[in-house]
Amino acid sequence: MMTMNIDNSIFKTLHKNEAWMYTNVSALSNVDFSTTTEVDFTEIKKYDIAQDNPFVVFVNGAFQEGYSRLEEGISINSDTVGDIGSRSDSLIPRGDSDTVTITGNQNKTVHILQIITGDTPASCFGNVLVHAAQDESISLAETHIAVTDQNHVFMPCTEVVAEQKSNVTIVRSIRGSKEAYHLGSLHVTQHESSTVQTHTITLGGKRVRNEVYAYLDGEHCESNFDGMYMLGKDQLVDNHLRVEHNEPNGNSREFYKGVLDENARSVFTGRIYVKEDAHQTDAKQTNQNILLSDDADVSARPQLEIYADDVLCTHGATTGEIDEEAMLYLRTRGIPKDAARTLLIYAFLNESLDELTDDSFRSVLVEELLSNLPGGEFIRALYL
Amino acid sequence: MTTPLLEITNLHANIEGKEILKGVNLTVMPGEVHSIMGPNGSGKSTLASVIAGHEAYEVTDGSIRFNGIDLLELEADQRACAGVFLAFQYPVEIPGVSTKFFLKAAVNAIRKYRGEEELDAMDFLDMVEEKAESVSLSIDLLDRNVNEGFSGGEKKRAEVFQMAMLDPLLGVLDETDSGLDIDALKIVAEGVNKLRSKKRGFIVITHYQRLLDFIVPDFVHVLKDGVIVKSGDKSLALELEEKGYAGIESCGSACSCS
Ligand SMILES: Nc1ncnc2c1ncn2[C@@H]1O[C@H](COP(=O)(O)OP(=O)(O)OP(=O)(O)O)[C@@H](O)[C@H]1O
Ligand SMILES: [Mg+2]
Repeated sequence: MMTMNIDNSIFKTLHKNEAWMYTNVSALSNVDFSTTTEVDFTEIKKYDIAQDNPFVVFVNGAFQEGYSRLEEGISINSDTVGDIGSRSDSLIPRGDSDTVTITGNQNKTVHILQIITGDTPASCFGNVLVHAAQDESISLAETHIAVTDQNHVFMPCTEVVAEQKSNVTIVRSIRGSKEAYHLGSLHVTQHESSTVQTHTITLGGKRVRNEVYAYLDGEHCESNFDGMYMLGKDQLVDNHLRVEHNEPNGNSREFYKGVLDENARSVFTGRIYVKEDAHQTDAKQTNQNILLSDDADVSARPQLEIYADDVLCTHGATTGEIDEEAMLYLRTRGIPKDAARTLLIYAFLNESLDELTDDSFRSVLVEELLSNLPGGEFIRALYL
Repeated sequence: MTTPLLEITNLHANIEGKEILKGVNLTVMPGEVHSIMGPNGSGKSTLASVIAGHEAYEVTDGSIRFNGIDLLELEADQRACAGVFLAFQYPVEIPGVSTKFFLKAAVNAIRKYRGEEELDAMDFLDMVEEKAESVSLSIDLLDRNVNEGFSGGEKKRAEVFQMAMLDPLLGVLDETDSGLDIDALKIVAEGVNKLRSKKRGFIVITHYQRLLDFIVPDFVHVLKDGVIVKSGDKSLALELEEKGYAGIESCGSACSCS
């Protein structure tokens, strides 16, 4: 089975929901995902960027055992679908495809590669269950990449359970074709003194919806949800987060930043919910955008729902152009206008990538960013 | 006859519709050091910005010739390549851009413009070490982002260091002495003095005569309300120190002493 067949009528009306008002994916409702096509497996090697690490490969939604390297604690189950997703009001369809389960200490980043390829539209779910038991630490990198320019759709759903004092890192990158749809969700449950950081990097796709639902169910949770995007013509990213502080002394940080060129659009919705008695909550939310064109557009919606006292919640959204004073400074040092602009855009976005601790994944994303960035060769030459 | 390095004639400039420079005339010959003094808000930084090519300022009249070319025809980066350097009164912090990579980009852009070969990483680092030493700038600072978190004094020192790296024909120093302690002042002045040559000229903007003890100027000008009201030699700076700008003005217009 190379392609999952899905009931695509749901896409027709999704944008009628308030939470989807900016993100119209109704074009998907007319797409036939059932045709299977020839698949070029040589592509896999190209994206196997950390060859000493555990590797789990799916092509058009089908698990590729021969290309994968499953290590202890990593398994594929055809019947398991996590259930914390049911706590959210996500409207993204869930499929009963294979689920990757990751447990135990995984200090070498586990790489899950989801490739969609072929000459006809294909869809794939990608279910991942991450369970970090007490004191364990798990690092996961998901690469979602559409190789061909079709109306492909990804609907990955990753569920994380972080037990006491565990530490989970997830880097989810959306790369490749600028024609694909990506409707993804991350569902995170945290217990006492756990730390979770997610990085959602959007460099490809036509319509990209990145949902994050986080439930801080224990005291002293640390949560960092970061995102970065660089989009151009006809691309839209919709970062949609809900962070629930259900117990006292939790720290959460949402930090999303991006650059929009041409008629690209960014939607950011960040809901912070602080339950009564979740005192000493510290929740910060930031969305920063740089617009390179008058046609680019941003909608940032902070939504605070606070029922506890003694809470620190801040949100900020900035939308601007490139800093003219910085431009001038660079130019008075001989750096031409275009190069100065590229340097400043790169600096702005790279601040997010600098947060990635795994070098091999970071450098691949830097490369992809540079190839998307007009004038990126200049930076590449400079940093060589 | 030698071509002037910089020849400013009847320069008028506006910002946001407000006229700041109201007919500045100034000629700097190669090898000369000119100091510009003047009250706060008189237009000193404006003059420096207009020379450097800041686009927010509109030149409404007059001309600036640099080394035989019409400087106003060039954009800021082309001016830098042609040999104009401005040490900013308030150097700009640029998050996310490492000083080292920024400087490499700058040095190579200028070399390329001048038809010289770009420096490779090794040669570049050798040059960095040499020039940093000349202003006692800690190399560690260069791994930080441009001016980010630099102390006031470090910023000024870094400006002079950049000037040494970029090897301009004209250095415009806008209050490079402010915020420097006395030792740093000497170090920076020495750094500048090392760069003095027969071909290079300087415009040194300052409020304090003290700097001019170390960087001895050939000429001192007083800029007031957008025009140069008085020019003289080094002794003018001493006189200003004593009498203040008000004293100078009364001497210029309604002078009763013959
Ligand atoms: N962006 C601006 N909009 C309006 N007025 C401005 C702007 N920038 C500068 N000015 C004004 O131009 C005048 C000259 O400023 P400038 O910075 O050139 O003075 P300065 O001689 O360098 O003063 P200081 O000794 O304090 O550095 C001031 O009155 C200042 O307020
Ligand atoms: Mg000034």
